[in-house]
Amino acid sequence: MVDPIPASHQPRARSNLTRGWPFLPAGVVLLVLFLLPMTVMVAFSLWRTNSDLDVVPDWTLDNYIYFFSEGTYVRTFLKTLIMAAAVTAAGIATALPFAYFLVRYVGQRWQRIVLLAVIVPFWTSYLLRAYAWQAILGEKGALNQFLMGIGLIDEPSRLFVYNDLSVWLVLLYVYFPFAALALYTALEKFDFNQLNAAQDLGARPDQAFRRILLPQIRPGVITACIFVFVPILGEFLTPTLVGGAQGALIANLIINFFRGLQYTTMAAFSFVIAGFVIVVLVIFRRYLRVEDVVARG
Amino acid sequence: MSVPAIELVDATKRYGTSMALDRVSLRIERGEFFCLLGPSGCGKTTTLNLIGGFIPLTSGELRIEGQRVNDMPPHKRNVNTVFQNYALFPHMTVEENVAFGLRMARLGSGETATRVDEYLALVGLEAFHDRLPAQLSGGQQQRVALARALARRPAVLLLDEPLGALDLKLRKQMQVELARIHRQVGTTFVFVTHDQEEALSMATRIAVMSAGRVVQSGTPRDIYYHPVDRFVADFIGESNFLEGVAVRDGARSYVRLGGGSTVDAPADAPPGSVTLMVRPESVSVGPAPATNGEASLSGRVIHVAFIGNHTRVTVRTPAGDIVALRPHSEGSASSALDELLDQEVCAWWSPRDSTIVAHGSTEKIDERLV
Repeated sequence: MVDPIPASHQPRARSNLTRGWPFLPAGVVLLVLFLLPMTVMVAFSLWRTNSDLDVVPDWTLDNYIYFFSEGTYVRTFLKTLIMAAAVTAAGIATALPFAYFLVRYVGQRWQRIVLLAVIVPFWTSYLLRAYAWQAILGEKGALNQFLMGIGLIDEPSRLFVYNDLSVWLVLLYVYFPFAALALYTALEKFDFNQLNAAQDLGARPDQAFRRILLPQIRPGVITACIFVFVPILGEFLTPTLVGGAQGALIANLIINFFRGLQYTTMAAFSFVIAGFVIVVLVIFRRYLRVEDVVARG
Repeated sequence: MSVPAIELVDATKRYGTSMALDRVSLRIERGEFFCLLGPSGCGKTTTLNLIGGFIPLTSGELRIEGQRVNDMPPHKRNVNTVFQNYALFPHMTVEENVAFGLRMARLGSGETATRVDEYLALVGLEAFHDRLPAQLSGGQQQRVALARALARRPAVLLLDEPLGALDLKLRKQMQVELARIHRQVGTTFVFVTHDQEEALSMATRIAVMSAGRVVQSGTPRDIYYHPVDRFVADFIGESNFLEGVAVRDGARSYVRLGGGSTVDAPADAPPGSVTLMVRPESVSVGPAPATNGEASLSGRVIHVAFIGNHTRVTVRTPAGDIVALRPHSEGSASSALDELLDQEVCAWWSPRDSTIVAHGSTEKIDERLV
């Protein structure tokens, strides 16, 4: 913004200053709860922990080098990315038809009731919900009881829990509402008459979906992806409770460093993830802008 | 006769127990500007959606250019629609909107560009290629929708109350435009509206619908001057209705009305209980009929309303209230009508201008009669 009035103009300068006041509370919150801890983390990630487990302010990149030189960490990080991508894909694949059906075929009243049902799980603590899944999938869990009850298996299976699949399933359960709400919001604004118009103009139903619906709900799809993908990069509770040894994600390793008082290593690892998240967000942002440009011709 | 553009044979659409369309048979010839007219819920939009392929028929048959298309999906039908809210694609420019149907038809890019130019010129939007729909006025959006649908050169163009969202002045303008475009492209137009004036001014033929059935179809003149029943007469324009008993007396036939008065009836009046209809503009008001042989009723003027281009005079007679719509020439003539208030007068008309209508549905659509 170009201010046509010179900064030396006293009344104007004062009003600029007073106009900043509304931002102060948010500014304080950001500074104290976000910027300050982040700065401390960045500093820690570039320092050293000595043999007495004290943090020593010697500037070094050793922590980062350590991360990338150990196959386990890189592998777990890649696995975390794949897990996040797999849950995101499944989240969109289930939430999109769900939201589409809800918006297009369900009356206002029932829409509200169904949406409430989607949100209700948030009233229970995440920890309890994850434990509940342990109870469902575990050796003496509900699923085994049921399958033995109908005679499909003779003895309890251990295949349902403590592996990547169970982590994927529970993460999908936890993050589905985020995807569903983001897509619902996007679809709610869509005029479904356009799909009839597209078919009237010779488009097959799949073409109408791809060329007319999808471009218009793209921002909602991207929001859904961000809401699901990014938090899963920091997930440790679900892998802890239903993942066992096999299902550990990168955050579980970071927690271990924290428990081992290796704060500098922990900070560096955390920043690798944070850096990745920033890259992802920048890409999404760029993608959104490019789409806007394309849409304008 | 040649193969009709659209043919409906006993077309029926049922939703659960309610009949949206009840054994409708229609024949729409090529090149017609055909209007489906009726109040909301009469089945006119259902008929259009059936032709477009958006809803399936419960029973009966639909033919487009002689081919049975009951089970053909919309994207394969040789018809295009101008939707009520236009349904333009907001993420595409005007040009892309018009080109969409051509791309779906896999026309080459050169031919597509030529056609887009051609049809945007037809609707007068040459300079708007790169605008987004949101940057256009309602009337312009309507033109884009028209160009988009016509660019595919369909056998039939379906228009679903396309002028409903426009203000009065723009609507009149678009009526003239639509008629011009219809003459220019020669495509069969099937137009849905609840506005009788729109139908009368544009259509070559009108089908008046009510409760899922076609009540009457014919030219605008036919329907206006010879409505088959009271519903049609009431829906299309303003009418005076007089209940009575028709009597044939040698060569002369007359109707004995309530209150003891009698008026001459049209020549074809069947004896018995009838409803006589006469349009307000056919009724004259004054001290006495100008000539002999007119049907006339005497009464008192209870209301005179200046309505701009005409003056409406309401006369209370023993047989009921008669509304007369009189033109007024300069100055004295209009005030002369004003002075009729509370005067004892005669209301008269030529028997030829009156029609016997069936009682039909007594559903009152227009309550403008004072």
